[in-house]
Amino acid sequence: MSLGDEPAGELLARVFLSRVLEPGDEVGGRWLRELGAVEVARRLRDGGPQLVGITDKRWAGLLDRAEQAEPERDLAVAQEAGMRFVAPGDGEWPGQLDDLGDARPVGLWVRGRPSLRMWALRSVAVVGARACTEYGAHMAATLGAGLAEHGWVVVSGGAYGVDGAVHRGALGAGGATVAVLACGTDRAYPRGHTELLGRIAEQGLVIGELPPGDHPTPSRFIVRNRVIAALTRGTVVVEAAHRSGSLVTARAAQRLGRHTMGVPGPATSGLSAGVHELLRGDAVLVTDAAEVVELVGDMGELAPDRRGPVLPRDLLEPGARRVLAALPGRGAAPPGDIARGAQTTQDDAIARLYELRSLGYVERHGDGWKLTRQAMISVRGGRSPC
Amino acid sequence: MGFARTCSVALVGVEGVVVEVQADLEPGVAAFTLVGLPDKSLSESRDRVRAAVVNSGAEWPQKKLTVGLSPASVPKGGSGFDLAVACAVLGACERIDPRVLADIVMIGELGLDGRVRPVRGILPAVLAAADAGYEQVVVPECAAAEASLVPGVSVLGVRSLRQLIAVLADEPVPEEEPDEQGRPDPLLAGLRVPGTGAATGMNSLDAAQHDQGHDLADVVGQISARTAVEVAAAGGHHLFLEGPPGAGKTMLAERLPAILPLLSRQESLEVTAVHSVAGLLPPGKPLIDVAPYCAPHHSATMQALVGGGPGVARPGAVSLSHRGVLFLDETPEFSSHALDALRQPLEAGHVVIARSAGVVRFPARFLMVLAANPCPCGRFSQVDDFCECPPSAIRRYQARLSGPLLDRVDLRVEVDRVTRAQLTQRGAGGESTTTVADRVRAARERAAARLVGTPWRTNSEVPGRELRSRWHAAPGAMDEAERNLERGVLTARGLDRVLRVAWTVADLVGHDRPDATDVALALQLRTGVPRGVPMAIGALT
Repeated sequence: MSLGDEPAGELLARVFLSRVLEPGDEVGGRWLRELGAVEVARRLRDGGPQLVGITDKRWAGLLDRAEQAEPERDLAVAQEAGMRFVAPGDGEWPGQLDDLGDARPVGLWVRGRPSLRMWALRSVAVVGARACTEYGAHMAATLGAGLAEHGWVVVSGGAYGVDGAVHRGALGAGGATVAVLACGTDRAYPRGHTELLGRIAEQGLVIGELPPGDHPTPSRFIVRNRVIAALTRGTVVVEAAHRSGSLVTARAAQRLGRHTMGVPGPATSGLSAGVHELLRGDAVLVTDAAEVVELVGDMGELAPDRRGPVLPRDLLEPGARRVLAALPGRGAAPPGDIARGAQTTQDDAIARLYELRSLGYVERHGDGWKLTRQAMISVRGGRSPC
Repeated sequence: MGFARTCSVALVGVEGVVVEVQADLEPGVAAFTLVGLPDKSLSESRDRVRAAVVNSGAEWPQKKLTVGLSPASVPKGGSGFDLAVACAVLGACERIDPRVLADIVMIGELGLDGRVRPVRGILPAVLAAADAGYEQVVVPECAAAEASLVPGVSVLGVRSLRQLIAVLADEPVPEEEPDEQGRPDPLLAGLRVPGTGAATGMNSLDAAQHDQGHDLADVVGQISARTAVEVAAAGGHHLFLEGPPGAGKTMLAERLPAILPLLSRQESLEVTAVHSVAGLLPPGKPLIDVAPYCAPHHSATMQALVGGGPGVARPGAVSLSHRGVLFLDETPEFSSHALDALRQPLEAGHVVIARSAGVVRFPARFLMVLAANPCPCGRFSQVDDFCECPPSAIRRYQARLSGPLLDRVDLRVEVDRVTRAQLTQRGAGGESTTTVADRVRAARERAAARLVGTPWRTNSEVPGRELRSRWHAAPGAMDEAERNLERGVLTARGLDRVLRVAWTVADLVGHDRPDATDVALALQLRTGVPRGVPMAIGALT
C-alpha cells in the first residue's frame, strides 16, 4: 500500500481508518486533526510510536484491527456494490458535519447517485420509535410526504416503525430521502427493509460511516444518531418513549444548535411521553410539514395562518354586534328590551336593527324584532362554546 | 321372492343425499348381507335391526337376506339407516305392504329393544328429502320438532319400531310409555358429541342464549370501541380490538351477538342444520334464531377452526359461527397455520374440506372479531406501566397478525383501560343493548333497501368497484381520505374499506349518503388515527 502520494494517499488512509477507528471516536478525531490522516494511518499500519490519549490495551487493539484492514479491497468491494467513499475535503463532503468537531466521521460510504452535499443543504431529519403506533406511522408518513412536496430532503435511520414510514412517505410523494445506517451500507439492516433500502438507494441516498460488511451494534446506533442530527437543519421526533434512541438524536441536534421539533401525541400514550418531555424543554411543537419548513426553512417560508373560518358576523361593528346579541334566541322582542340588553339608547338600537335587517340578520314583526332563521343558526353556533 | 324398498338420507357435510334402501329375500341358508359402502357403525346395523325386529314382536325371515343401499358409490355411515333397513326387511317378508314403504324417508337409530333413537343431522337430512321431492318423513319422536321446521313435508315422529309397524300396517297404534321424568332422557345419550361442552351450557348456542345477562350498558367508557362494535354489527364488518389485558375486549365481543338482528327463516335453517350435524342442538329448542357466538381457545388446531376430523369431516368453529360471531381472543397466540386457514372461508363464505371419505362443504359466513394485546407483556404504550418488551419483540408480536388476515378487517380500534374516575362515575354505562340493537336493525334495513336487486345484503359484502361506481358519497366527503391515499398512508384497498365503513356509518346515523363526518369516523375506525370527530353514534344521530 502506498500512503505517501496525495491525494490518493489521503483517500486510502481515510478508507483504512474507517475500518480501524470506531465511529465517533473523539481521540482518533484529535489525531486526525493534529497529524493528518496519512500520518495516523502510517503509525497504525507500521506500529510506529504510540499516539497520545489512549491506553496500551486499546492501542494494541487498534493495531490488531489495522493488520486486518485492506483499504484497496474495501474500495473495490464498494465500487462493485455501487458505493463510493466521501471524505472531508471532497467536493461532495457536507460541511455541516464539521460541527461535530473531533467526533466528525472519518468519511462516509454513500450509495446512490445524487450529491450528498447538495442534498444535505436542504434536509430535515424525522425520527421516532421502532415499535410505533398507527398514529405514529401515519404522522411520519404524512410528514415525509409533506416535506418531500415542499422540496426538502427527508433524512432518517431506515429502521422499522417511524423511520420506515418517513422514508416510504417521501418516496411515495416522489421526493428525496436519505437513510443513515449504523452498519455497512452494502448491508440491509433491518433485513425486512431490504427492498425499502434498495428503493432509497435507487431514488435517494443510503449513507453510513462503517465500511462494507460491518455489523450494527447497539452503541453504533447511538453514535449514528449524531450524524443524522448534524447533517440536517433540524430534527423532528414523531413518537418516542422516555428511553428512546430518537431522543438521543434530538439532544444531539440541540447541542449542535439545530432545530428540535416534536409531534405531540395523546397524553395517555406512553409512546409520546418522551416527545412531550422534549416539548416541555426547548423543542418546538409541529403538526405538519409546513410548520417544520417554517422553522428550518429560509426567511419568509412561513406556514399558512391557521384559524377558524371568518364568519360574516365577526365583521360587524361592536355596537351592531351587541344589538344582535341582545335579540332573544326565540321569538320577537320590542326595541326597548333590545336597547336595554345592548346597553344603548332605543334610537341607536333601532338604527342598528335596520342596519342588521339590510344585512339579513333580523326581521321586523309588528313592533318587535326577531332573528332570521339564518342568523339563528349562526348566532347559536357562535354562542354554544360559552 | 320378496322385495321391498324405502328411503333414507346419507349426510355429506350438511348436504344430504337420498339413499334408497332395498331388501331382497331369496330362498337359501339364512344370512344377512348389507352392501353399498357401509362404514363400521352402519355394518353393525344388521345386529341392531335383527334384535329390534324380534323384540318388537315381528318375525325375522329365516332366508338369504340382502339389503342394498343405493347409490352404491356414495360412502355411508352412522346409525340413522336402522329404521329404513328394518322396514325394508319387514316389507320384503310382507309384514308391511311394500307399496306403502316406497315413498317414505325414514331416519332413526334402533335400540335392541325396538325403541327409536335420535341421530345427528335430522334437519339437513329432512331438507334433502324435501328437496328431492319426498313428502313423508319418519323420524324419532324427540326430533320431530326439528324435522317439522322443513316446509312441505309431513313428519311422523315415532317412539318405537312397534309403533311404526302398526302405523304402516294400518293397525291400532300401541301407546309407548313415556320416559320417566326427572332422569336425563336416555334417548339423548350419545346424540351429542362428548367433549363439546354441550351438557355444561358452554357451547356456542347456550352462550348466545344466556346473553340476557350481558348488556352493552355494562361496558364503561370505551366510546370508540363501542362504536366499532355497533358499526361491525350494522355492516357485517370484521373487527380488530387491540388493547392491554383487562381493558374489556372480551366483554365487548361477547355483547356483539345480542345487537345483531335475529336470523331470518332461511338463515335459521342454515345455522340449525350446521348445529344439527355437529350434534349441538339444545333439546327443546329445535330452531336457532339468534346469531351464534363461538370463541375457540387459542390452542385450537386448524381442524378445530375450519372443520375436519377423521373419515367424514365435521364442522369447525367457522361453521358453528355461521351467520354469527367468531371471536378469536389473543389472536397472535393462535398458530399461524390455523389463522391462515381462515382466509379461504373469509373470502368465500363457505369452507370445503377434502377427506378420504369425500369432499364436504360447510357454510361459514361469519363476523370475525380479533382481539390482541399490543405486545407480549400487554403494557406497550401505557403511560404508568413500563413495558419491558424490546421493540423487535413488539414488532414480531404484531407482525403475526399483519398481512392477509388483517387486510380483511375493516375496523381497527384501540381499547384503553378504564380509569377509576370512569368506573366510579354515576351513570357511567353507555347505551343499552336494546337501544343499539334497534339502531343496528334500522341501519341494516336501510342498507338492504339500497342493495335491493343486488346479490349483497350488507355493506361489507359489496365489492369495492361496485361501491365506487354505483353509489356516490356526498361531494367533497372523500377529500381527506383521498389526500391520505395520495400521501401513501392509505392503500387503494384501504380507501375502499373506508368507503364501505362510511356507508355503514351513514346508515346508522340516518344519512342518505356519507358526508365528511361519516368518512372521518370511518377513517378513524379503519386506521386507528384520531380525526377529531365525535365517536359515539348516539351523539351523531
